[in-house]
Amino acid sequence: MASWLLTGIRLPLIAGTAALILYAVGFANLYDLRVLTLCGIYALLVLGFQFVFGHAGAVSLAQATFFGIGGYITGILATRFGFSFPLTFPLSIAGPVLLAVIIGTPVLKLEEHYFSLATLGIGLVVLLLAIQWSDVTGGTNGLAGIRPVQIAGFEVADRRSVLWFVWGIVALGCVLAHQVTRGFLGNAYHLMRENREAAASLGLNIAELRFGAFVLSAAYGGAAGALMAHVLHVVSPENLDFGLMITCLTMTVIGGRTQIAGAILGAGLIVYLREWFRVLENYYMVAYGTVALVILILAPYGLVGALERLRLLLPGTSSVARLPQPLAPPVRPALPPDAETLLQVEDIALAFGGVRALNGASLSCRPGEIIGLIGPNGSGKTTLLNVISGLYSCQRGKVVFLGRDITKEPAHSIARLGMARTFQHIHLADDLSVLDNIALARAGIDGVGLVQSLTTIGRDRRLETARGLAMTAAERLGIAEVAMEPCGRLPYGTRRRVEVARALAAAPRVLLLDEPAAGLNELEQRDLADRIRTLGADGITVLVVEHNLVFLAALAERLICLDRGKVIASGLPEAVRRAPAVIEAYLGSDPDMQELALAGPP
Amino acid sequence: MTFVQLAINGVALGAAYALVAIGFVFIINATSAVNFAHGDLVMAGGYVAISLGSLATLPVIVTLPLVAAIMFVVGVAVALIAYFPLINRPPATVFISTLLCGIVLQNLFLILFGPQARAAPPLIKSGMMHLGAVDISIQAAGTLAVAAALIGLQYLVFARTQIGRRLRATAQDRQMAQAVGIRAYVMIAGTFGAGTALAGVAGALLANQFFVYPTGGIPLSVYAYIAVVIGGWGSIAGAVIGAMMISVFQVVVSAYVSYAVATGLLYFVLLLVFFFRPQGIFGELVQRRV
Amino acid sequence: MKIPPPRRMGATAVPVIVGLCLTAGAGNVANAADAYLPIVMPITGFLSVEGGSQRNGAVMALEQAPGGVKADFPIFDTGTSATGAATALDKALSSQKAIAAAVTVFGTEMVAMMPIAAEYKVPLLTISGLAKITESGNPYIFRFLPNDREIKVAHARYVVEVMKKTKIALISDTTAYGQGGFALLQEDFGKLGTKPVFEDNSIAPDTKDMSPLLAKVKASGADVIVLHAVSTPMTLITKQIKSTGLNLPIVNSSSIVEPTATALFEPAELTGVCAETPSAPESRPTPAIKAWADAYLKRFNLEPDGLALGQYDGVMMALTLVGKGAKTPEDLRAALQKETYQGVAMSYKSNGHGDLAHDADIVCWDGTSRIPKIVAHYAGEQLILK
Repeated sequence: MASWLLTGIRLPLIAGTAALILYAVGFANLYDLRVLTLCGIYALLVLGFQFVFGHAGAVSLAQATFFGIGGYITGILATRFGFSFPLTFPLSIAGPVLLAVIIGTPVLKLEEHYFSLATLGIGLVVLLLAIQWSDVTGGTNGLAGIRPVQIAGFEVADRRSVLWFVWGIVALGCVLAHQVTRGFLGNAYHLMRENREAAASLGLNIAELRFGAFVLSAAYGGAAGALMAHVLHVVSPENLDFGLMITCLTMTVIGGRTQIAGAILGAGLIVYLREWFRVLENYYMVAYGTVALVILILAPYGLVGALERLRLLLPGTSSVARLPQPLAPPVRPALPPDAETLLQVEDIALAFGGVRALNGASLSCRPGEIIGLIGPNGSGKTTLLNVISGLYSCQRGKVVFLGRDITKEPAHSIARLGMARTFQHIHLADDLSVLDNIALARAGIDGVGLVQSLTTIGRDRRLETARGLAMTAAERLGIAEVAMEPCGRLPYGTRRRVEVARALAAAPRVLLLDEPAAGLNELEQRDLADRIRTLGADGITVLVVEHNLVFLAALAERLICLDRGKVIASGLPEAVRRAPAVIEAYLGSDPDMQELALAGPP
Repeated sequence: MTFVQLAINGVALGAAYALVAIGFVFIINATSAVNFAHGDLVMAGGYVAISLGSLATLPVIVTLPLVAAIMFVVGVAVALIAYFPLINRPPATVFISTLLCGIVLQNLFLILFGPQARAAPPLIKSGMMHLGAVDISIQAAGTLAVAAALIGLQYLVFARTQIGRRLRATAQDRQMAQAVGIRAYVMIAGTFGAGTALAGVAGALLANQFFVYPTGGIPLSVYAYIAVVIGGWGSIAGAVIGAMMISVFQVVVSAYVSYAVATGLLYFVLLLVFFFRPQGIFGELVQRRV
Repeated sequence: MKIPPPRRMGATAVPVIVGLCLTAGAGNVANAADAYLPIVMPITGFLSVEGGSQRNGAVMALEQAPGGVKADFPIFDTGTSATGAATALDKALSSQKAIAAAVTVFGTEMVAMMPIAAEYKVPLLTISGLAKITESGNPYIFRFLPNDREIKVAHARYVVEVMKKTKIALISDTTAYGQGGFALLQEDFGKLGTKPVFEDNSIAPDTKDMSPLLAKVKASGADVIVLHAVSTPMTLITKQIKSTGLNLPIVNSSSIVEPTATALFEPAELTGVCAETPSAPESRPTPAIKAWADAYLKRFNLEPDGLALGQYDGVMMALTLVGKGAKTPEDLRAALQKETYQGVAMSYKSNGHGDLAHDADIVCWDGTSRIPKIVAHYAGEQLILK
């Protein structure tokens, strides 16, 4: 118990919460109670925004819109139809959710800035509607006279009850947010926002994850808006406008983008900053903006992030790291004995703008084969891996995997079929431990998602199993002793191995490695080659892109050489290395250079 | 009023928006982050023009270079406060720091100049010009001319000079530029300054007919953002055309339907652009590079 | 002006959150003033021009409090936001027992403040024109400028009865002020038996180019333009009407009768422009108003407007009643409800719902100065031409 309390920043958070409750119960006057209530409402709004902005990493500018729609639904239903809270509240959540579902799919396809602007545009259209459709919305003046919350004849009217009621809902929101973002799904979001390609290659459905986060943020926004309508008794277009959106963004960035405590701290700090500075009259917004800017610069990970980092400097940081028991990987169903080719690539062509990266590349791999893919810079090796693993869609040609045409399949479906890969530049989630990074290999296969994490009560057995499997993969790559370390702190060579271990933990049939030896010293290279060779023995097909022919010589059974997007040679390593076309591709057609190359040591 | 007259009014306003949008693109290219204080910097330019105008009764055409110079310094200051401390953070953080900078600016205007709308002196003089059947105010014609000259000038600087090449290199890849010996931070600060100077000039031009007031910058930031998206992310020519299109679109649609419909339709068209041409109207479709 | 010292802000010790709350509530040293009358107005944000005027009016009254009354009057900014207004009023009223509060001109903020006034049982002295604030049965609302419902009748009657115009182009912006006035004017023109030939209430306050609007007005064949908008769009529309040579008379709402708005015009551009206004202190029509306007100019180095005068008279009436023995908010509420008070601008008397001002002026500019001339006075039901 004591050690649980002392890990991380739990102690100050619990002490803070207790002091806050004491203050609210014992010392707060009517105004303080209102301000604390507002903090709760904004905390709920920010908790929702954290899903889309913090976890999914998408700068949505529609959070205020969801808030406003929730408020307007409550306002309209309560004042025009006399509906009460048990009916208006669910509908105020359903409305924004419906909008998010409708706009989610097209809008979430957009990249960063475009996504932000699209959500801003939607928000401005809704704002325009609220202003112009005055018969229903009351126009710019809004709707007044919204009654306090009423449930089964009991009215939540006095300030203190309102405070408890609002914070009760915030607490529910926190529990739900914790349930969603703890463990597996939280880690999946973490990797996804740091590197989308890596996540997709692990079988994570990015579109689905982003969609889930967006819809959840809408639900929280709607709930917060509905509560605000009851507390303020008025809804007006300011509940929808850009000013509120800026406030929400600021709260999230300043509190912390992903931590639940961050939502509460951010909302509290910004609300109180305004209250403190209100007496400064004209100067108060300048003071508010300046302080917020200073916090943003000094604590770029938010206040909670800063506290966590400060905590790391103090002793007693690391909780007792209990390494999970390694688990034997699941056995893939055996391939039919007559399966000659596992992976077949036929005549792939792909151009970027005017540059032809691939121009009719073809190859095929047998089960258990280790193949080296070589070629000069810009010959299209990595591009080919990206086409095979579904990150790029080719303009011509066909990829067949396990007898199935996967040319048009998205990356995450291909990964789930049994294809894993690593990247030329290491793509790991730096803040997560080695073990959790590797365990993420199972997230896509296990179909991690909202439904699953909401229905997982108590211990997350899937995550435990995944960690067990991850431990096996870590042992296999010789990194078990650093399993609990965050990846960001490890040396380069070790991180390479974490990436390979992660690919391995997916129990793939085909493993695509993109320059795994780059940056490793000779000892590390030999060790890695040995470990990869054992994979082939287990029946895993390995396709290695590599410049380092020494490394490949000890590893590959067969070499394929690409040049200008085409396969120019294929066969036994020695034969390919001596092929005139290969030498020409690497060294140009200058005969002197060729002579020099052949004369030199291999 | 004829369609031609309305379109000319739209183009004249669009010219000022184009200056705003170009400055916005400069900063995007230098930092790959959206500067949401940009509209407020336009207002700042207007206030600078007003202050200079109250010191000496000179037409703005005389004080314009000074406005640009002062705003250049302001832009470098904004970069030092809101961008450089966060240079290694994701673009969203810079987006928020510029938003906060905008809030501070808006309220500084309020303290320094009061809440009311203020007008700057005209570029040359006020009044109307008659060109055949079309009327155009002297201010609008001057705005068009100044905008055209500045757009041409920035093109020459970027395409033809050594410093322009360095700026472009920095915009494309900061680390690479540093590796080949370009002082990238100076280039970024300079681009920030140049973008802000253009915003300031636009502000000085707009502040005569359309006034400046503390909160007047926010819609300009949004318009610049939209213009850049329509024109293609990072494209200067695209931003000019995008700004013109927004302005003409709004004037024409509000003449034939209403202002509310014009605004609503603008965002609706924007969403359609996203849906059918996510690379912008003039952008080139490139797969996301891994 | 009196700016209360910022409260201590250093107490951000661990745990941070507690510090946040304790500091926010702390402070408010008791002082020796007879009355606590906070000012809760939009000092920043979209309506800060209007908020600044009314604040000046209130401050001036409190500084000159009659009968030896010493008032404490901290100023709380609402930020032109309903949420901000409710919180600011709550803050103002929770710390000390207030006798009354001088509050916002902005209708949306008023609507958010009203339940709080009822909760604390403190009278609110306002100049917001929004009709419904005195029509909803809340006994704590006292308004010292005419209800928009009354003043818009004057606006419409001047156009129809005095100017004898029937082909009206009715235009407003999309602000609360614009939309509210638009609906009332539509109703009033209807009662006078005319229907505008052109109506547009979709002008966003940041619209720049008004030529599309003017093209439509011209096409409608209107013979008068009736505008109800906040000052920036109204100024732009009026100026662009003049520069395009659309030679129609313009009858504006009171927001143009503000020195900050008229400063944007050359006097000649105002030729033929008229406007309704609750009072026009800058034209100094009576000795009392002249004396007051000069004092205001001296105190704030600004020309006064009707908002400032209305708020001044309102706060002055409350202070006078306090001086005469209204010691509690309830006493003051009762007194405001029944007493008559001769203010600088006019005589104030509640109609039973908290509307105390019932006079309005119609002013016009002749093109020689930015100071308008009063052409008609509207008192109760009477329209008196001058």
